[in-house]
Amino acid sequence: MTAPRARTTALAPYLLLLPALAATLLLLGWPLVKNALLSFQNLNMRQLILHLTEWNGVANYTEVLGSSDFWRVTGRSILFTGANVVLIMVLGTLVGLLLARLGKRMRLTLLIGLVLAWAMPPIAAVTVYKWLFAQRYGVVNWVLDRLGFHSMADHNWLATQFSTFAVVTLLIVWQSIPFVAINLYAATTTIPKELYEAAALDGAGAWQSFTSVTVPFLRPFLYATTFLEVIWVFKAFTQVFAINEGGPDRLTEILPVYAYIEGFGNQHFGMGSAIALLTIVILLALTAYYLRIVLKQEEDEL
Amino acid sequence: MKRKLIAAIGAAGLLVSVAACGSDDGKGSGADGFQGETLTVWAMDGSTPDGWTKDVEAAFEKKTGAELKFEIQQWNGIQQKLTTALSEENPPDVFEIGNTQTPAYAQTGGLAELDDLKKSIGADWTETLNAPSVYDGKQYAAPWFAANRVVVYNKKVFKEAGVTEIPKTRAELFAAFDKIKAEGKAEPVYMPGQNWYFFDGLTIGTGADLVKKKGGKWVSNLADPKVGEAMEIYQKYASYSTAPKDKDEATPQQAEVFAKGKVGAFIGMGWESGVAIKANPKIEKDIGYFTIPGESADKPEGVFLGGSNLAIAAGSEKQELAREFLKIALSDKFEGQLSKELGVIPNKESLQENLKGQPAGEAAAPAVAAGGTTPLIPEWAAVENPPNPIKTYMTAVLNGKSHAAAARQVEGEFNKRLAQKQ
Amino acid sequence: MSRPRSAASKASALRRVWPNALAVVLFAGFVFPVYWMFATAFKPTGDIVAEDPVWFPVDFTFEHFRTAVTADNFWTLVRNSVTVTVLAVLFSLVIGLLAAFALARMRFRGRRGFIVAFMLAQMAPWEVMVIAIYLIVRDADMLNSLIPLTVFYMMMVLPFTLLTLRGFVGAIPKDLEESAMVDGCSRPQAFVKVILPLLAPGLMSTSLFGFITAWNEFPMVLILNKQAEAQTLPLWISKFQTVFGDDWGATMAASSLFAVPILLLFLFLQRKAVSGLTAGAVKG
Repeated sequence: MTAPRARTTALAPYLLLLPALAATLLLLGWPLVKNALLSFQNLNMRQLILHLTEWNGVANYTEVLGSSDFWRVTGRSILFTGANVVLIMVLGTLVGLLLARLGKRMRLTLLIGLVLAWAMPPIAAVTVYKWLFAQRYGVVNWVLDRLGFHSMADHNWLATQFSTFAVVTLLIVWQSIPFVAINLYAATTTIPKELYEAAALDGAGAWQSFTSVTVPFLRPFLYATTFLEVIWVFKAFTQVFAINEGGPDRLTEILPVYAYIEGFGNQHFGMGSAIALLTIVILLALTAYYLRIVLKQEEDEL
Repeated sequence: MKRKLIAAIGAAGLLVSVAACGSDDGKGSGADGFQGETLTVWAMDGSTPDGWTKDVEAAFEKKTGAELKFEIQQWNGIQQKLTTALSEENPPDVFEIGNTQTPAYAQTGGLAELDDLKKSIGADWTETLNAPSVYDGKQYAAPWFAANRVVVYNKKVFKEAGVTEIPKTRAELFAAFDKIKAEGKAEPVYMPGQNWYFFDGLTIGTGADLVKKKGGKWVSNLADPKVGEAMEIYQKYASYSTAPKDKDEATPQQAEVFAKGKVGAFIGMGWESGVAIKANPKIEKDIGYFTIPGESADKPEGVFLGGSNLAIAAGSEKQELAREFLKIALSDKFEGQLSKELGVIPNKESLQENLKGQPAGEAAAPAVAAGGTTPLIPEWAAVENPPNPIKTYMTAVLNGKSHAAAARQVEGEFNKRLAQKQ
Repeated sequence: MSRPRSAASKASALRRVWPNALAVVLFAGFVFPVYWMFATAFKPTGDIVAEDPVWFPVDFTFEHFRTAVTADNFWTLVRNSVTVTVLAVLFSLVIGLLAAFALARMRFRGRRGFIVAFMLAQMAPWEVMVIAIYLIVRDADMLNSLIPLTVFYMMMVLPFTLLTLRGFVGAIPKDLEESAMVDGCSRPQAFVKVILPLLAPGLMSTSLFGFITAWNEFPMVLILNKQAEAQTLPLWISKFQTVFGDDWGATMAASSLFAVPILLLFLFLQRKAVSGLTAGAVKG
């Protein structure tokens, strides 16, 4: 009687995981394999239309890896991701701590503001930002002009790499802070009061109790959120592409945008597939540290 | 990503006039055994005015007994959409395709060969308009309509500055701009740094080639002094404008800037005045058009002929029915009607009279015979993918680089794109 | 004597005021772009391209909304978007929850491997895998159907859903479940009766992410579904930035309409969602 029961119990987790695994293999694994196969082909308009398969070995990879563009884009992607994630985490944490300090009504007001920004679908958000920063009739330039920065009256925000990135960063940070802030605020509410009291008894000041109680308690949360933000920012295709199509002069292309423009825009699908795979590898490298922590941590649990 | 390219074709007509329906043709032939079939046609947003569409559908159904279904396509992502569609089992039977894109698609094998059609109905298609449809000596598409740029000007601004005669030469035009500038009330011309199709027209005017063959391969010919000559003319235009040097005419939309009444003129498509009127209805009475003047009064400036062709998918199972459609849509009657309704240049010179009473079309027509396109090679499509290196070149020159240095700066990217495997 | 006290009260007043002042500034900063979208959508074109911004839509107009809504097939697209999004989110919740339960509560060989695998799955760059997906769907003869869209969107959000739900499940004290089982419930019964209700906020907050992702997807639907009857709303938004120039009024009206369902969903769910998210995120 117990034997079959034990067997089902042993099998249970696998059965529960089965749908998710099957979906992942079929809907993600298969496209990935397909993508890998394509990356070894010379696949352009002609081959696609005529259903031709032209294997060309590792030519796509040698071309991509041999081009300085790719490495420049990679470096840029990493910097871009780093800058954004740092801003998001720091500002998000500060806003979250502010939420904890506010009175009820004020907190609700700010929460609503945050939620509205968070909930904007990226497509709509990018469109709005383009409109805010439009060279003529954009509100931002008008305000700057009124504030005395007259040279900004007709400023073209998308003219240089730096200012384009500045706009994209503002957009991404604006949309990402709410996630971090709201979650962090909610997390702080779960910190047991006794911990602070104990810290106070030990004579800890505000800063010390923050570093000795709040931070350790929130650490797993901060790790997990940082991991998510790294992935999201690194893959921020919609925002970067829609704001200026990677311009000016392809100077704001990050890896996904680069892969898209090479693969789709220029209709070199094999090449695009190769870049896509390399993009995954790089993202893996960036998140390896966190994945290692997770592996270790899971060992200790249960 | 081809949005801008196709946009330049100026397919969209806002100047809709009343459709004049001619006599009833194709009488009596009746249904041709195509009963029950449906022909799918992809047309770009703005290419098929309502009156024309209805009449063509009726004529087609009458002649063939089959149904005609227009599917209107958006510009965003159209190239990916078209390429993938051509690989499918049921591609659109007939589709509109930009004239400069035709060679690239012709070499893919995705377009049906149309030599027979050219023989039967295309004897007097305008030479410059038909050229892009021919690849490797064979006909792969049929010229449908075209458009080219004119000077759209604000009559009030010109008058206030004391310009009473329409400029007939480039020198007269610049003199007019000088007067407006001296008057100080308006920007003489709105000319952003990357109105690249206008620049392409200028190179056609100076007889420059943008690419040349070297060792069996196409390479950049931007360094050619004739290109520099064209760029000098462009620079002169731009010197009258405070428009951004690194943007094209679509950001911001030049017609909307013009609509404010503080700009003397811009170089654009006739239909762009519709955009201006929409933004500021009061501007309508002040808008005028004239042919872009060239070096001398008898020869207008070179222009880029943006055009749309109609092509048949090689994978379509309705080859014959598709040809029937082309014969109807491209007949003198419907070409004329389209020209009237959209104000676009028809595919035959004899049909240009349909533009009478349409000031923009009338201003555009004289330049067609001397117009041209971008280089008609399949490799060209890659050059115009953003960021178009020629636009980069233009901005560089306008920002103070010499023609030679700017040409050198973009040559690598330019050649790389031309060398891409097909 | 009174001096220090007044200084102290001033300081404490300041201490009370600055968080509120800061909150107001932040509120304005976060809300303004959203406000500007709606404001622009309601202004006549002449007020949109104005030398001096018109801060409030005084000449209120529905013109842009009319333009946006009367676009071809609008209601079909709405229906498609809603269908695809809702189904994708529901499927991912169900599948994700099953897996989350196993990963959070059970001990078995390969558990760590599965967790890391799903973390990796989260990194898939879908935009650039579109061509591979297109070829698969084309060769399976499934173009112009809502099914591939639904399942791929489901897959896009599944890893996040699953991992976050795992956190939620893990945060529910084990004893609750066990005491239910002691009371004679089977494990599935305990799950339905005890855990599921506690998970409601978690399910809601997780679904928000799914809604946004599926609602926004553009590159895939563009080439998979070429027939207008099978398309979704993101394709419709881009309609208003065309050769005619960017019609900011119609674009903003379209964006507003596009954003409203998600905004409402967030405002509606945020209370519960927020409290829930923490549980999930802290556990991470």
